[in-house]
Amino acid sequence: MNSLRLRLTALACGAMAVALLGRAVAFPVDGNKTVLPATTELNEDALDKPREVFRSEITGSKSYLVNLGDLAFNSPGLLGEVARQAGVSCGTCHVNGANNAKFFMPKMSSRPGTFDTTGPLFNPKADNLVLDPVRIPSLRGARYLAPYGADGRFASLRDFVHNVITNEFAGPEPSPATLDAIVAYIQDIDFLPNQDLGPGGRLVGKISESERRGEALFAKPFPHDAAMSCAGCHVPSSGFVDHQQHDVGSGGLFKTPTLRNADFNAPYFHDGRFDNFKQVIDYFDRTFELGLSAQDKLDLVAYLTAVGDGAQPYERDGASATLKEINDFSTVLATAIPAGDKDIVALAVDTIGRELRELTEQYPDRKNTSVSGGEQQRVVARNSLKELVLTLRRIDMAVAAGRNADAATEFRNYRYLMAAAVPAVLASAEPWSLFNQDVHDQHYAALRQVMQSKHLPH
Amino acid sequence: MHRMRVAACLALLAAMAGARPANAGALEEGAERYRPYLIEGVGSALAGARALQERAAAADLPGAKKAWLSARAGWERSEVFTAGFVPELDAQIDAWPNADSGFHAIEAKLFGAGSTDVAADAAALVDHLNDLHGKLRDIRLTSQGLLDGTVRLAYEVGESKADGGESRISGTSLDDMRNNIAGIDFAYHTIFSSALNTVDGKLDEMVSNRIERLQAIVATPDLPHVDIADLRRTSEELVVALQGASAKLGLQRPTLEAQAR
Repeated sequence: MNSLRLRLTALACGAMAVALLGRAVAFPVDGNKTVLPATTELNEDALDKPREVFRSEITGSKSYLVNLGDLAFNSPGLLGEVARQAGVSCGTCHVNGANNAKFFMPKMSSRPGTFDTTGPLFNPKADNLVLDPVRIPSLRGARYLAPYGADGRFASLRDFVHNVITNEFAGPEPSPATLDAIVAYIQDIDFLPNQDLGPGGRLVGKISESERRGEALFAKPFPHDAAMSCAGCHVPSSGFVDHQQHDVGSGGLFKTPTLRNADFNAPYFHDGRFDNFKQVIDYFDRTFELGLSAQDKLDLVAYLTAVGDGAQPYERDGASATLKEINDFSTVLATAIPAGDKDIVALAVDTIGRELRELTEQYPDRKNTSVSGGEQQRVVARNSLKELVLTLRRIDMAVAAGRNADAATEFRNYRYLMAAAVPAVLASAEPWSLFNQDVHDQHYAALRQVMQSKHLPH
Repeated sequence: MHRMRVAACLALLAAMAGARPANAGALEEGAERYRPYLIEGVGSALAGARALQERAAAADLPGAKKAWLSARAGWERSEVFTAGFVPELDAQIDAWPNADSGFHAIEAKLFGAGSTDVAADAAALVDHLNDLHGKLRDIRLTSQGLLDGTVRLAYEVGESKADGGESRISGTSLDDMRNNIAGIDFAYHTIFSSALNTVDGKLDEMVSNRIERLQAIVATPDLPHVDIADLRRTSEELVVALQGASAKLGLQRPTLEAQAR
């Protein structure tokens, strides 16, 4: 089996696994007493999360600013009232800086993985009265990908982020320091490495014949306009973008999207109308009368798949992954507590506390019928996480009252617990937690069954 | 060395034991004053459950729903007690999501499927509540158990309601919260407030203030208007204050989960 077939098979298996997983576990928000429309799918229960690669961690560790930006990015408090009430943050759509391909919100999405930034829900004042969602982009490699926005109307990432917060989500004016931090965080999210991409964006290493032919076709001038080619806009030496907007007949001027890590960025086009590379290639073939043969199309798909690959795109969610993220967030407190920075401490306590409360719910309580066994382990896990939440709250209360030394003592205690005791307690409860696939599926199946009873004809 | 450590432990125990009687009398009297409220709450849950049984037998869906709501309210008001003293029964009566008995099993049928086919579940609920109600006159109510229950419930009130909350099918999660807070308010002011006030007036004031704030936060027309961030913060501040109060009252620090001690 050559490397192309291996890669395509792996991709197909991956897609199938994700699809099957989705069917088995996807659980929409429901109930008529929520601020989000019923059947909203946030995909928060997914057990496979996109892997996040930080540029600064390749050579050292993340800075205070990057960690603060990551924290703010995952804080609903940064956005407006509806998002806050719904617990929606930037990280809801851009999970670990990647895209959330399953995200679907009635009135705001036309299909999974899209979102109407001028829709009625989060900021009625910004509603353009048209359902015109755009695909939720991955932010991997964003620092190479200016301009910003699907239509590329923002030259600066900072201006773009400001617009998302204050306009699209009706959030309060963020402090300049918060904006700087979010920009630093986004600029630190790297592409997943792809060992098949060499200097200048050329394919290197064990490349199949089909991929090689696809690479040549990609650079070949279009038959009816020799000034144009795929590579003319998706410039391989420039991260597969040209930093320009183009009208490719899809309904306006849109910026050239990168092809790096694009295997994991479906759906495609500004409005997410295409599910896969084949549909995209068929579209260009029709629109620009490229006269591609069936083999040409296969070769182009092979090439795009090779370019769009990335190492370990997903990682399994579990207590240790969550604790790592929480520990990164907590480093912000190490700076903010001695400085007596009340706002940052409040933001950190709110966001980390929220994550810890969500983590607590991964260990079902005694009222939950989906799991039996491990009751004592679950009780201890829940209890220790709740104690952490309260320790953080004491830190917030102490800093707010100007008792920074008390806060520092509490923070030492928090770090001590997070270093060994809490990870051990959570690991011992993991078999009976929602991180266990069987328990997870049983829990969500039961929940879905209960919620569906609502929709039965009366 | 060993002997010294033992001596130190004994001294500590003596100090703790010494701390207890100072408030113990007042607290145990307070716990007794809580009893009629508890009997009334569980009694009202039982009456509601009996009405539910009767209305369901008559295939009266609106009547059965109304009775369920009334039973639920009495139960939620008593949760300070149930969370602290009868956690097994609490788990049985309040089981979810795939409960084969209890409030949420009946809720799914009445409010979800629109069916009054709940005879067996309602009968089991009546049995459980009747059994509990019968024991309440003689059950030993300790101030420690009631403080544990108050703290656990105060923490639970701050849990996320973004998905519609605990009773999401009947849409009564906001009422559940109001009844929980009413239960906390009554337990605190009946049992602990005056004893705490004599040793730490400011802390007593802080607890009362947080309870009042919680009441104000849930005084909204519906769940989507409850300020979730404020609710969580205030619930945690209340728990922190009550944990601080436990030492002042000579009680053990409450744990956040039953059986975690």
